[in-house]
Amino acid sequence: MLTKNQAQEQQLQLSDPIDRRAPLILGNPSFNKITEDICRPIEGKTHVVWWLYFFMAASILSILGGALGHLIYNGTGIWGLNNPVGWAWDITNFVFWIGIGHAGTLISAILFLFRQKWRTSINRAAEAMTIFAVMCALIFPGVHVGRIWVAYYMLPLPNQMSMWPNFRSPLLWDVFAVNIYGTVSVIFWYMGLIPDLATIRDRAKGKIRQIIYGFLSVGWTGSARHWMNYEKATLILAGLSTPLVLSVHTIVSFDFATSVLPGWHTTIFPPYFVAGAVFSGFAMVATLLIVVRKAYDIEHIITIRHLENMAKIMTVTGSMVGYAYCLEFFIAWYSGNPYEIFIFKNRAFGPYWWAYWTMFTCNVVSPQLFWFKALRTSPVAIFIISIFVNIGMWFERFVIIATSLHRDFLPSSWFYFSPTIWDILTFAGSFGLFFTMFALFLRFVPMVAIAEVKSVLPQADPHFEGEMPKDDPSPAPARKAVAESEEEGDLMPATAVARQGAH
Amino acid sequence: MSESHSHARELTPGDLRLPESSLFARLPAIGGVIGLVGLGAAFGLSSADHHRIDFWMSLLTAFMYFLSIALGAMFFVALQHLTRAGWSVVIRRLAENMSMSFPVFLALFVVITLGSGHIWHHWMAEGAMNDPVLKAKEAYLNKPFFFIRAACYFAFWLWASWFMTKRSASQDESGDVSHTRVLQKWSGPIVVGYGLTQTFAAFDWLMSLDPHWFSTIFGVYYFSGSVVAFLAFMNLVIIIMRKGGILGHVVTTEHQHDTGKLMFGFTVFWTYIAFSQFFLIWYANLPEETIWFDHRMHGGWDKVSIALAIGHFVVPFLFLLPRPVKRNDFLLGLGSFWLLVIHFVDIYWLAMPPHYVDGLKITASNVAAFVGVGGLFLAAFGWNLRQRNLVPAKDPRLAESLHFQNNWG
Amino acid sequence: MAGENKLYGVLAEFESPKDLLHACEKVREAGYQKWDAYSPFPVHGIEAAMGQKPSPLGWMSFIGAITGASLGMLMQWWMSAVDYPLVISGKPLFSWPAFIPITFELGVLFGALTAFLGMLLLNGLPRPYNPLFSSERFARVTDDRFFIAIEAADPKFRTAEAKDLLTKLGATHVELVEGQA
Repeated sequence: MLTKNQAQEQQLQLSDPIDRRAPLILGNPSFNKITEDICRPIEGKTHVVWWLYFFMAASILSILGGALGHLIYNGTGIWGLNNPVGWAWDITNFVFWIGIGHAGTLISAILFLFRQKWRTSINRAAEAMTIFAVMCALIFPGVHVGRIWVAYYMLPLPNQMSMWPNFRSPLLWDVFAVNIYGTVSVIFWYMGLIPDLATIRDRAKGKIRQIIYGFLSVGWTGSARHWMNYEKATLILAGLSTPLVLSVHTIVSFDFATSVLPGWHTTIFPPYFVAGAVFSGFAMVATLLIVVRKAYDIEHIITIRHLENMAKIMTVTGSMVGYAYCLEFFIAWYSGNPYEIFIFKNRAFGPYWWAYWTMFTCNVVSPQLFWFKALRTSPVAIFIISIFVNIGMWFERFVIIATSLHRDFLPSSWFYFSPTIWDILTFAGSFGLFFTMFALFLRFVPMVAIAEVKSVLPQADPHFEGEMPKDDPSPAPARKAVAESEEEGDLMPATAVARQGAH
Repeated sequence: MSESHSHARELTPGDLRLPESSLFARLPAIGGVIGLVGLGAAFGLSSADHHRIDFWMSLLTAFMYFLSIALGAMFFVALQHLTRAGWSVVIRRLAENMSMSFPVFLALFVVITLGSGHIWHHWMAEGAMNDPVLKAKEAYLNKPFFFIRAACYFAFWLWASWFMTKRSASQDESGDVSHTRVLQKWSGPIVVGYGLTQTFAAFDWLMSLDPHWFSTIFGVYYFSGSVVAFLAFMNLVIIIMRKGGILGHVVTTEHQHDTGKLMFGFTVFWTYIAFSQFFLIWYANLPEETIWFDHRMHGGWDKVSIALAIGHFVVPFLFLLPRPVKRNDFLLGLGSFWLLVIHFVDIYWLAMPPHYVDGLKITASNVAAFVGVGGLFLAAFGWNLRQRNLVPAKDPRLAESLHFQNNWG
Repeated sequence: MAGENKLYGVLAEFESPKDLLHACEKVREAGYQKWDAYSPFPVHGIEAAMGQKPSPLGWMSFIGAITGASLGMLMQWWMSAVDYPLVISGKPLFSWPAFIPITFELGVLFGALTAFLGMLLLNGLPRPYNPLFSSERFARVTDDRFFIAIEAADPKFRTAEAKDLLTKLGATHVELVEGQA
């Protein structure tokens, strides 16, 4: 809950005071208050609600295990695939998950390059989401090959057949793009974490905790000489991640667009896929953070203003996607090519019409609601619309894949794809993996970038003229004294040591 | 770094007006004369073959080239309002003045309509519709609809640029914050309208030169190049003005550095779009699409294609990458000049091949039309510079812009 | 942890980024070489105040990226056109446009790895032991306090002088830190 003071500042933020910039973080917090607010969830006792959430997510994850086990044992015949629909839910899910990941990189890299300081409140969680989404995504191309024990054929490793992978295949570019994207995202995320892990290390009172976080924070001291190289590295990684994130969904779009299949082969695919990926990713970030900010009481750090900005990005990217949908139709007609025209008519009015219009409504119509300020500043409205966008973006990939394939050039091969229970369970199970990872993230890693948020507070500017904000006196647990009964170790008389003792 | 913080910059009245003696103040006269002479020469020097197609294509190419700068400027202005940008306030008026040149383009387009039957003869000519493929698109490719669409594009561009500039200039008098509020509110719809109009303008005026060919990304392609051209032109204007003592302590290296970064970024974006278009068509290898690139890979056009890949990507990418280059007047100016040149090659490469399938031919008329249209564009820009303050003097975010610093990068 | 009672340096604590920046300028002017400032987040303008040289990381990463991209193109050329030539979908053996995606990706990978590992290398990390960790107060450097440490190894170092200087510059607390550098 926001205090009265914070609520007033929120009002100021939302009224868009053009003559000055409203504070990003509400309530004029001290540096210490930020540390306390963000570290609390990972230092206190594990909350019972977290356990509930974790067990639910882990149970769904176990479904994934079962579905994949069944798949590996029996082969892809357990799915609803049949000629000519050789790709359906597997690749839909892959593109869906990899797209989700793109928002994290957009926030941490592209918004960084554009000096969007509000990014600091949400980038950590969004990047974590990126990594988990890439993990989910990698499952599907990995298992859809059927014989996963020869999956290493996809890498340029010497093998017993003494042949090399086909570098002219978009599917191989995917192998490189997605793995490198995952690797670079982890590097970027981990580097951003180093100063915050050091904060946890310095606050830790248990020996084990000190060792683990001490190990992970590589001896970080906050040295100015280190910060300089560190900031340079951040800038370089942002500069590299920006084209990287574009290239990943571009290459995913190449999986389709390099073919000669009407409905797949169109030149707008690369930027259109990237816009769609960012769109779906922001929807997922919004869905998650609206819950997280409430549950962990950090509504003064992730404010309505942050949500509003995300809603605006959804409108921009949703409109780009709408532009592409309409242009595809227009150019299909303009091409004068009867096959092109057929496939698009079939998309909108053929057997999968319901999927097409679900996609169109969720992706093009629903984000336009954010033109209304009342809706884009209402967490409930954003939450609902973001769910619609998530649904719509899954359908987009399904529509692209299934409707272009199911009516082949040879009408005798026409087929209507329906998923089997194993299609559904595998997809549902991937959410289990995603939410289990996210649960662990919330419990063990600072969910907001502590150092970065501090750097956007007004008093972080060395030319700040006002009074330094006072530490929150009342319930703030003193440093190193986050009493945690079950943990042992060298408990210090914390308050004494940290605050007065050293005098 | 910290020193510049200490003495706050202020606007002085002298910063707001163009000195009468400056080159920019004389642009309307100089540009006007060069423009008319250039256009006359373009006509006079053109070969009379094929209904003076040499002249008409030269005019269209130069028109699309300078139009792209004006469109880029309009997009830039709308984007600054849409994102509530603070850093760019001191250079926004320059962009507004560039975008106020649409009346010139309207006039030029009226001239172009006289030759439209020759320029777009592949679908406008008598009997073109006997071709079944073209017949299929007749509902779009027909003269009345073509001109109605053009009228709509111009109506929107004239209105949007006038609306944004007028509001911004009124604020100079009153300092009323509500202007900013209105502009921020309308910038969203303006960007949407901009996206649609410039996409279809690119389809109509460039893509339909080869009416069999189609590419969904073509509008984005023209957009990416237009933003590069605008930013390059903006950099040159800033650098030349500051050399001449205009806006010298208002627009700083910091702003230049930012427009330089944007220019670098959009050069890469252009490459991305250009590569995507080429690559997908090359890979799928469908005759109806590859014909377009086939024209551009023979008879001298192949050299232009290679020059584009190197000159529009490799050279500017490597050249503009280091930070010191973007903070140096001469080097940034050189890079900007280079990009303006190569952007012309790009437009030339888009427009000309359907009429010069036999081979690349650079004519005197090409050059004269470029000079002529450029002169008129500069005249319009100079005329607009004189109409209002050089800087939005009472913009609520002016102080933020005046004190703007790049912390990194 | 090294147990010898060897003086590492003087550690001074400051309340705000402003005080830290100001103090850094003065410490530099006093001519010290081996000293450093510590803060919970990067303080803008401190590189200039301390007189730091710009980071060479940009060039390192650029070279890394170029190397990665070149190796990527070479690998694909060698594998597709030399070691196992196979015509696929009517494309040339060395179909360079098709090799651009992986070339680009490997460039990014090498550039990113160089940036990250280069950052660690230049900073001398990981560094498990640091004498400053023995200061109880220094734990707040990752929370809300700002520090300057002047090392005893500095040629100009005199304990009393360094302490005086830092106290005069507005340090709220000055202490001696022991340990091996």
